[in-house]
Amino acid sequence: MNPKLERALPELIEAQVITSDTAQKITAYYLAKEEAKPNRLFTIFGVLGALLSGLGIILIIAHNWDGMPRNLKTVFAFFPLIIGQIASTYSFLKKKGTAWIESSATFLVLAVGATISLTSQIYNIPGDFSEFLLIWIAMTAPLIYLLRSNSTVMVHLMLITWYACDLGYTYRGAMPWWYLLLFAWLIPYYIRLQKQETKSNIAGILNWLLPLSPIIVLGTFTTGGNLSFLMYLGLFGLLYNLGELPLFKNQKLRRNGYTVLGSLGTSFMLMLLTFEWFWIDAIQDSYTSVEVIITSVPFLMALIVLVYLHLKKHTKGFNLFQYAFIIVGALYSTHYFGYVHSVVLTNILVATLGLFAIRIGIHKSSYTILNYGLLIITVLIACRFFDSNLDFIFRGIVFILVGLGFFFTNYLLLKKQRGTALQDNPKTEDHA
Amino acid sequence: MRKLLTIALFIIFAAQLLVPAQMIHQQENILIKGTSYKFKTRPIDPTDPFRGKYITLNYELNSFQTDEDWSNYSGNVFVYLTTDAEGFAMVKRVSKTPLDFDEDYIIAKSNYNYGKTVQFNLPFNRFYMNEYKAYDAEISVRTAQRDTTKICYGLVYVKDGTAVLDNVFIDDIPIQKFVNEFQDLN
Repeated sequence: MNPKLERALPELIEAQVITSDTAQKITAYYLAKEEAKPNRLFTIFGVLGALLSGLGIILIIAHNWDGMPRNLKTVFAFFPLIIGQIASTYSFLKKKGTAWIESSATFLVLAVGATISLTSQIYNIPGDFSEFLLIWIAMTAPLIYLLRSNSTVMVHLMLITWYACDLGYTYRGAMPWWYLLLFAWLIPYYIRLQKQETKSNIAGILNWLLPLSPIIVLGTFTTGGNLSFLMYLGLFGLLYNLGELPLFKNQKLRRNGYTVLGSLGTSFMLMLLTFEWFWIDAIQDSYTSVEVIITSVPFLMALIVLVYLHLKKHTKGFNLFQYAFIIVGALYSTHYFGYVHSVVLTNILVATLGLFAIRIGIHKSSYTILNYGLLIITVLIACRFFDSNLDFIFRGIVFILVGLGFFFTNYLLLKKQRGTALQDNPKTEDHA
Repeated sequence: MRKLLTIALFIIFAAQLLVPAQMIHQQENILIKGTSYKFKTRPIDPTDPFRGKYITLNYELNSFQTDEDWSNYSGNVFVYLTTDAEGFAMVKRVSKTPLDFDEDYIIAKSNYNYGKTVQFNLPFNRFYMNEYKAYDAEISVRTAQRDTTKICYGLVYVKDGTAVLDNVFIDDIPIQKFVNEFQDLN
């Protein structure tokens, strides 16, 4: 139990804020909660132990024991795999607790990698690193559903991201199509987890890892032209709108990676699009139909989620962040008519997004969101100073004004919070 | 439901055992029943995070002059083998599709062709080595080839289009032994 709370309870009883009966209930509640903690810690340390020992085996294998005969090495290749399988079977059949399942499943996933590594090493089997990862992932992917292991999901997500990066970002530059299938493989498990264990730690962690993976990988599906900016904008639009689904929106912001990453990504991409070079290049660029189709996919998906939000009446009021990708998409389709209108409108859009963030911040009484909005406006102004010939006095005045804006909006929010606190607890007015 | 899950779990376990077992069986079969060829090569040393250090082998055998135009062709090429007077592998013919000849062949990747010469990369270009020997292997072979007429080659077993790199030799001395001697001298 929290020592602060423990000390506060007698004081609260004395001040007749709570009865001794309530104090006992509070103590019992926290004691019951703490009883569940050792198991959770045991799981975490179990998984970490399995992860470290699994990686340790892989590293020992990577040393390459060339003094050992080939036959003996081949036998050793199966050792970690068999140990992992026995441990997983035992924890599955005996219905052992989460700690056992998670640890043995993590070890098994790494053991599969170790066995393929050693086999490839013994026989000098050719093949790129991405091919090796793909075989490894395919051999362990079913374990997610069979053993219902959360740590396996995380390892799977890391491996598929690594696979896609190795294939797409290295000299080969191939599009990692298998990534899409392997990513989709996780979705049913993730949905079940969100529905059944919404408030669990693992659900919160996956709310960040799941959107982070496609953000890292998306670049492998682009050919590097201006369309890649739009593609990312579509993805961030999709993530932001997913974050608006009640399942995620009703959670704390720190558990909603979709909204945070979607918003940060949208702001960042739009900031780049406020420069003229993007729109000047856009006029000169030409694209193949395949590139256009690939770019359209995240846009369409974001649009579907947005329509769904409207149909199910999950949108309360107008939030510009949800529509930014559509506005820029529409602007891009008019790039044949010149670039000036697009540059001006994108700048206005970013400034408005900043104002929207400030409004959301004040509405939710959140300093983080409020200052995030102010930061968007500040960065926009700073960016404009790079490609405009405004004099120093003007720039100085604008920065002072933005600085004052930071001060006043934060002050207003502080005042608002104090006002709310006073309404909730009028007694504190006497102490103020 | 749990019974089904258990069966599925054992099927996956069996697959996890079978995949490496099948890899081993295939490689052993080639090593026992395949024909051996010596490919002249030169090693360089990179690292793989899971499989350890290896030397990449740059084979001298990487192109073949033909009668047909290979411009812009990219894909698999069937390389049919024979040996020269010194016993080293050489190309007899190449084809975009398998041919009905009773000769050993290798399926190689071909890119960036121009004219009647076909360029290809032999698939067995990785040789895994002990982490303390891979770099020295590159250095020792480079030194040996610069100073003398020592020949570095990969001994490769070929069967039904699949090849297994058995070992790398420098003047008939296995590379591990050659590196040991090099390390003792330095």
